[in-house]
Amino acid sequence: MKKFVKPLLFLTLAVFIATSAMAAEGGNPRKGKHLFKKTCKSCHSADGAGGEVTPMTKTQAQWDRLFKKKKHDEEAWKNLSEQDLKDVQQFLYDHAADSPQPQTCG
Amino acid sequence: MKKFLLLAMAALVAFPMTAFAASSEEAMMAELQKQIADLSEELEELSDRLDGPERHSALDRIEFSGDLRSKAHSIHYQDVTFNPGINVDFQDFFEKLAPATQPNPEFPNGLPTWQLGPLGGFVGFNPMNPDFQDANGAAVMDGIADFGQGLTPVEMASLNTSALDSMFANLYNTNPTLYNDLLTNFGMWAGPGGMQGAGVGAFPMALQPETYDINNDILYSTRLRLNMNAKVWDNVKFAGRLVMFKNWGDSTGSKVFDSWNAFTMDGTNSGSTSGDWLRVDRAYFDWSNIADSGFYVSIGRRPSTYGPPTHFRENELRGGTPTGNVMNLNFDGITIGRNIEDWTGIEGMVARFCYGQGFESEWGNGELFNELDKIKDTHFAGFNLDLYNDGTNFLQATAFTAQSINDGFKGTIAFPNQYAALFAPTLNKDIQKFPNFNFVTRVQPSTEIGDMNLAGLVFSREEENGINWFTSGGWTQMRPNGDAGMFGGMGTDAVFKAQLSSDGTEVMMVPDTAGEDKNRNGYGFYAGVQVPAPKGKVGLEYNYGSKYWTPFTQAQDDVVGSKLATRGHVGEAYYIVDVNPRMSIKLSGIYYDFEYTGSGSPVGKPKDIDDVKDGKEYSLLPAIDTAYDLNATVTVQF
Repeated sequence: MKKFVKPLLFLTLAVFIATSAMAAEGGNPRKGKHLFKKTCKSCHSADGAGGEVTPMTKTQAQWDRLFKKKKHDEEAWKNLSEQDLKDVQQFLYDHAADSPQPQTCG
Repeated sequence: MKKFLLLAMAALVAFPMTAFAASSEEAMMAELQKQIADLSEELEELSDRLDGPERHSALDRIEFSGDLRSKAHSIHYQDVTFNPGINVDFQDFFEKLAPATQPNPEFPNGLPTWQLGPLGGFVGFNPMNPDFQDANGAAVMDGIADFGQGLTPVEMASLNTSALDSMFANLYNTNPTLYNDLLTNFGMWAGPGGMQGAGVGAFPMALQPETYDINNDILYSTRLRLNMNAKVWDNVKFAGRLVMFKNWGDSTGSKVFDSWNAFTMDGTNSGSTSGDWLRVDRAYFDWSNIADSGFYVSIGRRPSTYGPPTHFRENELRGGTPTGNVMNLNFDGITIGRNIEDWTGIEGMVARFCYGQGFESEWGNGELFNELDKIKDTHFAGFNLDLYNDGTNFLQATAFTAQSINDGFKGTIAFPNQYAALFAPTLNKDIQKFPNFNFVTRVQPSTEIGDMNLAGLVFSREEENGINWFTSGGWTQMRPNGDAGMFGGMGTDAVFKAQLSSDGTEVMMVPDTAGEDKNRNGYGFYAGVQVPAPKGKVGLEYNYGSKYWTPFTQAQDDVVGSKLATRGHVGEAYYIVDVNPRMSIKLSGIYYDFEYTGSGSPVGKPKDIDDVKDGKEYSLLPAIDTAYDLNATVTVQF
């Protein structure tokens, strides 16, 4: 029995880690939300230069494609580190148009 | 595509034509022209192909998504007690009975024909000597009521049993102990100095309480939900949901009435199994940011079920607007709301005013017969405030009032033949030949019983390490108006009075007033935690409801009954395996410990379950003591 415990624990841990569904490995959506509000909203509001953008603007696949190809004005992203970008990507992915949404009126 | 074309054009323009000899120049021109022609052709083809999807997108306006849930339950009830009885105004009954016990001066020669009173008279049955001969006419007591004492055979032949004859004979035959008690009490009342203060007392309708266990070893159900979303205009959208919820092997759409959960009715359609048809669970529009004010208006069948914190055990995000421990009911209504983060600076703050009508008292209830003066429209209105919501912490309050609640709703049931034996002897004569044929009947309430106020508060938090937890409390207040129907008034039982039927053949007990009309407060508490576990999460939940706890949560789809409406304790433990982001398996056990009767309904007096089991209290519906529901669920989302 003892010799099974270590590999069993490892397997359990591995399985637990393996089933995390993250768009960007190691992206923190809460930090991403904060960064989005602080950095992106100034340009991506209704009357901003970048036009209104919310997580619902694109689907999960579209967000992934945008960040993978870095299809964005480089100047605007210059102050965001690689980790920051992962965080923002995860936030946008988690709340994308085709992600589960809370159901309330309004 | 555009880029390619531009590049091609740019290449054409930038190409230094003079650097080449004339013949290669011509060849290059020809090549470029061919390329342009090819590009144009491809563009045209793409444009034609795009035409189709563009048309499709404009005409196919509804976005569908949904989920399919299959569930298997094993349900076990312990100590279910059926001890029916009613409260009777004995003072009134004895006053009405008294004339019938006096000799009739028109028949001075000892014929057992008494004076007629409001309940008629005794014609063939002598309550003072109910059993005076056997089946052969010999003077032997055989324990069966006899008729015609003191009458000749000719007179006997023309005998028509009166309503009082039937009532007392029936009582003598079925419950001789009760019969003797009744006569003794009447005797004491009618004796010197006793003609008042008989008061209201219990009238049992069964010989003794029947207590039994019930085991539903396997019950399967299927639930299909189809979400619909559509854009109406830039700031107007439509959202809705269709639900099919059935148990395997049943598409009758009705249940034999044995509890308040057995109704098929508007308010619980999404949480009560019916059949293989789709019902509309929600359908409403949102008209947002009206005139740039930030306000929105939403009208339709509301998203009023699976509100926080009840969504955690469903393994979903918030499923509805109002606090789920006080409001979990389908209803149609109007909401006016606004995200007030810009006013208060508090993240995620949303204020909503909600209104709905839960019961229509005229249309569809036979209003043209003009006999509906006792039932009223039920309106409810209140506030729902998301006080704080930053994606981690969530705080919400709901408070509303329900005006003019009646002793029931409009719904359909299959008539329980067990009630015919208790209340409808004429019907019972025939229906007992068809014990398994339960006629389906539309039921509507009989009278307004009062108003209610309700409030709930919930706080939930999602920790960084994946642990989610929540706590919530609720308060309900009953404000009865003193009226009652057969099953009671608000938080109280009815007092029945004896009355002769319209054709004079039967003494009926009809509900007259409520036993009391005191305001009653009820309290509920609901808390839970979810902890990450291998491949998913483990959850533990507990809720408690006090004696008069009466939330509007009847649309919860728990088979034993809405667990949050329980007047007692409920514990739930579950393990959710997230097979993939769109599919999960849940293994759960729910244990109910009912302390009082009437969970989930404002009608009737809550009785201590132990008192019902001991025969000290009566309940027209079977009373459950404890129950457990072991279930396994697999849900797929699409």
